[in-house]
Amino acid sequence: MYKFNNLTKGLTVTVLALAISACSQSNNSEVSQSQEVKSDNTPKVEGKEIQMPGAIAAEYKEISVKGPFNFGQTATDEEIAGWHIEVGHGHNLPPGSGTAADGEELFDKKCASCHGSFGEGVGRNPVLAGGEGTLTDPQKPERTVGSYWPYASTLIDYTHRAMPFPSAQSLTWDETWSISAYVLYLNDIIEDEEFVFSADTYHEIKMPNEDGFVMDKRPDTHNTRCMKDCKDPASIEIKTALLGYGSGAEDVVEETAVVEGHELGQKIYDATCRLCHGTGLAGAPKVEDTVTWEHRLQQGKSKVYEHAINGYQGQYGVMPPRGGNMELSDDDVKAAVDFMVKDAEL
Amino acid sequence: MADDKSIIDNETNNEVPFSGALENKASENSRRKFLGQAAATSAVIIAGSASAGNLPPDVPNWSRTLGKPVNTNPYGVPSKYEEDVVRKRVPWLTPDSIASISFTPLAEINGMISPNGLAFERDHGGVPTIDPKDHRLMIHGLVEKPLILTMEDIKRYPNVSRIHFIECPANSAMEWKGPQVGRLQFTHGMTNCCEWTGVPLKTILEEVGVKPEGKWILAEGADSAGMSRSIPMEKALDDTLVVFGQNGEALRPEQGYPLRLLTPGWEGNTSIKWLRRLEITEEPMYQREETSKYTDLISPRDPNREELIGKAYMFSWIMEAKAIVTFPCPEKPLKGHGKYIMNGLAWTGTGKIKHVDISFDGGINWHEAELNGLVLDKCWTRFSFPFEWNGEEMLIQSRATDEHGYVQPTIEQLREARGVSSIYHNNAIHTWKVNKNGEVESVQV
Repeated sequence: MYKFNNLTKGLTVTVLALAISACSQSNNSEVSQSQEVKSDNTPKVEGKEIQMPGAIAAEYKEISVKGPFNFGQTATDEEIAGWHIEVGHGHNLPPGSGTAADGEELFDKKCASCHGSFGEGVGRNPVLAGGEGTLTDPQKPERTVGSYWPYASTLIDYTHRAMPFPSAQSLTWDETWSISAYVLYLNDIIEDEEFVFSADTYHEIKMPNEDGFVMDKRPDTHNTRCMKDCKDPASIEIKTALLGYGSGAEDVVEETAVVEGHELGQKIYDATCRLCHGTGLAGAPKVEDTVTWEHRLQQGKSKVYEHAINGYQGQYGVMPPRGGNMELSDDDVKAAVDFMVKDAEL
Repeated sequence: MADDKSIIDNETNNEVPFSGALENKASENSRRKFLGQAAATSAVIIAGSASAGNLPPDVPNWSRTLGKPVNTNPYGVPSKYEEDVVRKRVPWLTPDSIASISFTPLAEINGMISPNGLAFERDHGGVPTIDPKDHRLMIHGLVEKPLILTMEDIKRYPNVSRIHFIECPANSAMEWKGPQVGRLQFTHGMTNCCEWTGVPLKTILEEVGVKPEGKWILAEGADSAGMSRSIPMEKALDDTLVVFGQNGEALRPEQGYPLRLLTPGWEGNTSIKWLRRLEITEEPMYQREETSKYTDLISPRDPNREELIGKAYMFSWIMEAKAIVTFPCPEKPLKGHGKYIMNGLAWTGTGKIKHVDISFDGGINWHEAELNGLVLDKCWTRFSFPFEWNGEEMLIQSRATDEHGYVQPTIEQLREARGVSSIYHNNAIHTWKVNKNGEVESVQV
């Protein structure tokens, strides 16, 4: 692991010594000569500064005034309690409890539209379950809560902190424990769906990959500053863009652009609209909610388009302009509306 | 945005037709009347000479007519001819456009600073709209005196301005298995470099009095992701800043307005944006963005590292040395034979860039480039190399060496050490293939 504080003054560092002259005067292709030197801000070898070609090594000047300044207000216990939300591994475990059985219904309602009913992930949204034994697969390791995450506390923390995606910090702690228990149940980490997950039982859960992490072991490559004849010209094989990935992101943009009609509508729905229209969040009519959509359509489809494009504050909820994705064109938004309405009509 | 035919009325802030705006003002005083007439006249000239040449010996239209009034755009906007110089997204890269990323157009950046409007962003729960009057920074946990600071409080502390790069550890992540995105903006654009103004975190920690057992700091954002990372105390006391300024103005919303953390040289997500809370703790909190994400699952091919197959690096904070040629590149091909000056950017989270070497033959032979301008700690550093091109194919590479002697690796060396599925921290030497027609492709050798 890197020692990040070895960059400050007075510590010993290694620099490549006299690299410029070494490579210009010698046929020896590799500059391997390094020396231990004492460093201040300017690299030195045997007390002489090494000049960096063509550039100035500058330094900042500091403001010298020191505190204490005594600005601000003391944070009260009550104020801290409202914001002190993080859950660590055995640290600040929240009140409440829940079971996987409780969590299943909540998960279906609040999580499944993105993560799938079994945590399999919809579209490109995170897969939450499965992947057991795949971490050693060099090509397609599947990092899920069950296969990868080291501590269940992270699941509790993140579920409460940032989920459901469009309405962070909306879950009660009971709901958080329940949904977390259900995700662990989907991963066969909790086997009894009536197991009461809480601060009291937290330590009964051991995540399968808890020991799968090591501290950063970089630098883990050891390239040298070879300057001449560094490899066999015959060994050079030129690899161009991977098949199936497209040669450039702009091409992918173009590919997306030629998708039309229902397919375009679905793509846009998946990427932008599903967050709310898949779950009914923020008062959004759900795709399959035919009655609500028909009510909306009574005012004319152009009105629905207009509200989708420009945004709308309605009686039941709020529609942000273009679903909050300002990159969408008017036609994109209309295609997404058509997709949702068509699905409602079916 | 105003175009050629309209301007923003400075008093009403409305966009109005160009000539109309001036004519209305013209009744107010004679100076403006003169301008109004000139504008009306110019409109005729423009309309009547649309096909006239702007090149010598002709005199361009813009030299014979008055320009727009001073302060037409009170904030200022780039020339309309630069409208393609913008951040871009790769739509398929993230599940949605809210927890997503935009890329800096590196080919168009001059010097060592990314302008605020072009600086890449990574947001995990969208960009919140925060009223600075209602923004608070809470510092608590293992401290003598927990504090709540307003933005005004924070700006009263002595501040510093530092030019540092930020790089997302997922920069170049699409390239582990092979070349995939054929533009510089997408291969390397998850980085920016700005002058950041803020208070050393050390100053604030001295105010609250950290208890001896306090070894880590949980930093948390006010966005809907509650973006959070555990930062070790050594980094907090070293060069970490609590930042409110960016390139001379307030932070842009997408960079954390009104307040962000800056952990120079470390992976960008540790520089928590919309910073609302710092909790001093004894242990790291193992947040989602330091366990599930931003850990490096490796599958080394090197038999000496076999025991690490299926293991993951945790707390892989430092961004290692990286250099990339920004001209020529796919967006900026060579046009015609003759002399050129290759240009590029190098940076390292370990300190200063010491050398950048250039290869034209895919890494067989190397030549030391010049470092240009300022060489600063954890900062973009410019390099250049003059060359003459006569239409031959070239495999251009650049290789950075940091001040500690670490040499930027090849992609094969990285694959030996980590396999191809670790997503983050791909700082491999990159290859641009210059074709005989001067066009440039992103390849690997």
